[in-house]
Amino acid sequence: MQTALQLLFTALQIGSIYILFSLGLTLIFGVMKIVNFAHGQFFTLSALLVSVLVPWFAHHDVPLLPAYLLAAVIAVAVSVALGMLTYQFGFRFFQRDLSGSFILSIGLVLLLEGAYLHYFGGAVRTVPPIIAGDVSILGVTLTSQRLLLGLAAIVATGALYWILMVTQFGKAMRAVAIDHEAAMLQGIPFKRIAFQGFAVATLLGAVAGALLAPISVISPTLGADYLIKGFIAVIIGGLGSVPGAIIGSLFIALVESIGGFYFDPSIANLTIFILVMLVLMVRPHGLLGNR
Amino acid sequence: MFTKDRIAKVLAGSAAAALLTCGASASHADEIIKLGLSIPLSGAAANWGKGSEWLCNAAAKEVADAGGVKVGGKVYNYKCVAYDNKYNAAEGTKVAQTLLNRDGIRFIGGSLGTAPVKALQSLSEREGALHFTTAWGSSIKGPKFPLTFTIMNTVNEISFPLTRYVKEANPSIKTVSLLNPNDATGQETEALARKAWTAAGVQVISSDWYDRGTTEFQPIASKMAAAKADVIDLASTPPADSGVVFKELKVLGWKGVQAVQVGTGAEGIIATGGAAVDGTYMGAAMVFDSALTTPKQKKLNDAAKAAIGESLNSVQISFYDSVMALKAAMEASQSIDPKLVAAALPTVKFESFYGVASGFGGKDVYGTPQQILIPVIVTQIKNGKLTEVRRIVSEEMKQRK
Repeated sequence: MQTALQLLFTALQIGSIYILFSLGLTLIFGVMKIVNFAHGQFFTLSALLVSVLVPWFAHHDVPLLPAYLLAAVIAVAVSVALGMLTYQFGFRFFQRDLSGSFILSIGLVLLLEGAYLHYFGGAVRTVPPIIAGDVSILGVTLTSQRLLLGLAAIVATGALYWILMVTQFGKAMRAVAIDHEAAMLQGIPFKRIAFQGFAVATLLGAVAGALLAPISVISPTLGADYLIKGFIAVIIGGLGSVPGAIIGSLFIALVESIGGFYFDPSIANLTIFILVMLVLMVRPHGLLGNR
Repeated sequence: MFTKDRIAKVLAGSAAAALLTCGASASHADEIIKLGLSIPLSGAAANWGKGSEWLCNAAAKEVADAGGVKVGGKVYNYKCVAYDNKYNAAEGTKVAQTLLNRDGIRFIGGSLGTAPVKALQSLSEREGALHFTTAWGSSIKGPKFPLTFTIMNTVNEISFPLTRYVKEANPSIKTVSLLNPNDATGQETEALARKAWTAAGVQVISSDWYDRGTTEFQPIASKMAAAKADVIDLASTPPADSGVVFKELKVLGWKGVQAVQVGTGAEGIIATGGAAVDGTYMGAAMVFDSALTTPKQKKLNDAAKAAIGESLNSVQISFYDSVMALKAAMEASQSIDPKLVAAALPTVKFESFYGVASGFGGKDVYGTPQQILIPVIVTQIKNGKLTEVRRIVSEEMKQRK
């Protein structure tokens, strides 16, 4: 029983970051009908900046928690600004163009990864523990830091869900995702919504990076693993579907957690790919995807 | 006054000086020997590649400052030419073609990563190029590959003395769990690590694999903690990943002896593992602040640290040693023919980075003397600092002295 709980908690912790990451991917696809492979680069930039800024603030006698919060705000702001630049000078011209946006985003991945490697160096970076100690829940030990960051990820996901379901902006985004021409006929400004949708998606990726920074090893290639997992989650859940991305992310985290325990991480990864194939054979548009 | 004659004389003098300089440069350029490097310069292993290139250049400069390589009345200098193999076989093949066929390079100063190295070796042996490599696989050595030389201690050299030492230091240990990356390097390491632990009287109760690039190690840490082994050996797991695994294991309450058999550097593991990696044994790391550290080692390490952001590791150090080995063999054979230089390599002694007179040996193990002879340095992390606990010199090395 304790093992099962340990695996479940592990899956929830891993899944919370996957959810934030994949929500950004699915949002961009929903609004612009493109797959943004450069999404991981905004996530990576945010984590890298946190890893540079926290020690810098700490060195200037700022206590660790405020230093982290300040660093996270700056990192997210810079990442979103970079996202907006790539939209304004790139993705804007490739809306609803899968092959064009694919080439652009792959080019951006290479460019940004090279730039990060040049400016941040290839050595791994870490952020000092923001909150020390472990907590025990139902006999399962977790670090306080992971627990808190997992909760923060859940709150961010909840906030996004609320925005999409309740606010006018969220409703407009959903309308554009369903049928952008019909949405425009109803007076919804498609271009503005696409811009704002891209911004929100980048924000989610950047927040995920900032949250992950204190519990992970940060390097310029950090985003690659998350991009693959996030993309698989979105494929399983259905491209463009918000609940689908959440279900897909949790599904992957569960397979990773259980497969990694009973077999090994390599087999767990292989299993994820096999399950994706099976899901796509039965539901080619994903579990909750629309045609 | 600037008369026409004076201006003409100055111009003529300048032209003559320029011609002489060009002539000198041209003759200097003729005496450059290019050393090809097939190394990762992007992706997760980029820093290994950057450090390797940096050390190759440092060694080439040292050779030049000492008067160059003197062969047949001529003086040669080295120039390192690096290409990114991205740590995979496909890119390794492209790099091999570029180095050997396009650039016409006949001396490979160093290659990194078993998969890209195998791709390079298949061409370098055919093309008659001398190839120094850091790849651990024993399958790349032997009479079939007379032009390939391994320039760092491999699992074969490290595993047995290290496990023996760990068992001696911790006599109560009886079981071990292994973890390796699921690639050519990991698979070759796992097979040898298994044999070494068994030979040391420690039973291997589990052995797991993970994919390079993995960022979440909680599931595998849970599994390894549940196995309750006395020792956890992360074998060929890179330092940064090892730190994360040990950290997760501590959270789960596992307590035991920790080892990373072919752990190459301490900074990565300490950065990611913090206090959780205290006590970890490693077999391929180098200490730069001990009483045994030479001023030259310290100077090179400090300069490398400023350039690449972290201390040198044993993989990168090999790229320095290959340059020194090549210089010694070229001067001994008085030739720049790769085959003649390769034939001379097992007979020469040279001053390696480790500060000892090194050479090539390993005929009993590999069939031909293609393995560099340097000591195995057993290190342990104590209070967040890497310390050398034993320096093991092989019998063959002792006999050479």
